[in-house]
Amino acid sequence: MKSHKPAENVTRRDFLRGAAYGTVGLALGLKGLEGQAAAQTGAPFAAEHPVSLVVLVRNERAVDASHNVNAQLVAEMIDTAVKALSSESDVAKAWQRYFRPQDVVGVKYTRCTSHRIHTEQAVIDAVGKRLAAAGLAGTRIKADDYGLPLRDCTALINVPTIKVHFLTGIAVSIKNYINFTGRESSYHHEGSVKLGEAWLLPDVKGKTRLIIVDALRPYFGLGPQINPLHRWDYKGILAGSDPVAVDTVCLRIAQTKRNLFKGEEWVISPPPKSIASADTVYRLGTSDPLKIKLIRLGWEKDMLV
Amino acid sequence: MVLGGPARIAARGEEGMAQLLPEKIAGWSRADEDKVFTRRNIFEYMNGAGEIYLAYDFQRLLVREYAKSSAPRIVAEIYQMSSSEDAYGVFSHDREGRAMPLGQAAIYGGGLLRFWKGRIFVRLMAESETPETRAAVMALGKRIEAAIPRAGKKPRLLACLPSEGLLRDSVHYFHTQVSLNAHYFLADANLLDLSPKTEALLARYRRAGGKVRLLLCRYPAWAAAKAAFEHFNRVYFSDKPVPKSTTRVEKVEKGQFVGAQWNDRFVILVFEAADRKTCEALGAAVLGRIKEVFP
Repeated sequence: MKSHKPAENVTRRDFLRGAAYGTVGLALGLKGLEGQAAAQTGAPFAAEHPVSLVVLVRNERAVDASHNVNAQLVAEMIDTAVKALSSESDVAKAWQRYFRPQDVVGVKYTRCTSHRIHTEQAVIDAVGKRLAAAGLAGTRIKADDYGLPLRDCTALINVPTIKVHFLTGIAVSIKNYINFTGRESSYHHEGSVKLGEAWLLPDVKGKTRLIIVDALRPYFGLGPQINPLHRWDYKGILAGSDPVAVDTVCLRIAQTKRNLFKGEEWVISPPPKSIASADTVYRLGTSDPLKIKLIRLGWEKDMLV
Repeated sequence: MVLGGPARIAARGEEGMAQLLPEKIAGWSRADEDKVFTRRNIFEYMNGAGEIYLAYDFQRLLVREYAKSSAPRIVAEIYQMSSSEDAYGVFSHDREGRAMPLGQAAIYGGGLLRFWKGRIFVRLMAESETPETRAAVMALGKRIEAAIPRAGKKPRLLACLPSEGLLRDSVHYFHTQVSLNAHYFLADANLLDLSPKTEALLARYRRAGGKVRLLLCRYPAWAAAKAAFEHFNRVYFSDKPVPKSTTRVEKVEKGQFVGAQWNDRFVILVFEAADRKTCEALGAAVLGRIKEVFP
């Protein structure tokens, strides 16, 4: 990490002045850091020569007033996102850029009993349907939260939700693989700084071809258990192949929502060290908003990023 | 509804807890067998999130679900803590919602009702909020509250908070670093040597220059408080000279001021102040209260 001090001595002061946790402070939109960055190299998430591409698609009708999810629209949003990410105009071709009929694909979704914020079934179903349309037999598609046959999988698709987390800062795609370690609680220590290790396990490393984030109803509150007042219908889907970039965009969305909710800066706490270390220690992608290009599609109101 | 008296409830553990809950309420009926979790297996119920309960002296959790045809389920969680102070502490962890007149304090919002009374913290949540679930959750809350035999003491430390400018919904009571960092990231290391034996309050105050944050810690012995004060100074102000007194105010990032003070078993910290005077005045006010409450 880009800390100038030993990790055990990092304080709030270091974090606020950008001397710890790399570019996470910038992703959080901390005043001062963002001004410096913009003055030097441009606006966050608008890289002209991006290291990573992330697509955000929103649809106002994806979730109704009673919080029911429209599965058809969600499937269309996922199609739009994957097409934009792959630069393919045809849906089947877009998915074939990531998966072959001979692959065995593990679809890792989220089931979280404490928050009760699960990947929506509509999202899981849409992903399965598109994998089938890409030529994969049903037996080659394995969808689960716990117990995916990782050794058999030749490819993974990461399908997390977005939730602010009182131990990790934020839980999106990087944290979604914590189950693969079999030692979940041990990874919650030290602000979950070692979560990136899960991505480097022998049966996991290099297999993640696509990330589809269910941002239909994210959680921005304190946790550990859900407070319904801290959940909102964002009605979004994100797609990317860089978990660090995807999580960085989600971090920005959640942080902005928190600030709006409180009417003042309500910084996600503890700092999401897992994102910073996934970038600078485990080299899983970039957390620098200045190196990420975000393609925004669909409903623009309250996009927050 | 309560079969035994207060003493029996305490002695009978989960059986006593189950008797706080009715079989039926407002058309909803008990759906499944109750589930009981202890410090040993709370993670089976809430993955890694059990940490926050373990950070208090949580003893036992009883979960009962209620169902009604064509209606959202209601989940009742009864947490038994080892002390009323810790029941208050868990309650104070997340204070978002509207205050309700129930138990020793209650909050409701979006289908979620939380309250505490005695050593019990109660969390009732409808899977989704409708006028019917709201009425049922409130009715269930009242039944449970009535079955809890007696109220308990709040943490004595609360009386050390000066009332002027205090944002009451901002007060959190806790013991350890995991709770502090969930609310306010201070450092990766445990700079204040927080432990299950320490008590801490985090609160916000409205002052002329804006809101400031107070962190008040009470240690089991003066030597522990002194060591924590020195630890904090050494790391948090590593770029500044070591203080010669037990009180200091420093200008830090964003033009803000931080005040730190050690007195007997207490460490008083003020963050995000607009000026030196604000730190000094709030620190002095807290110290004045401490001397009254813990003479």
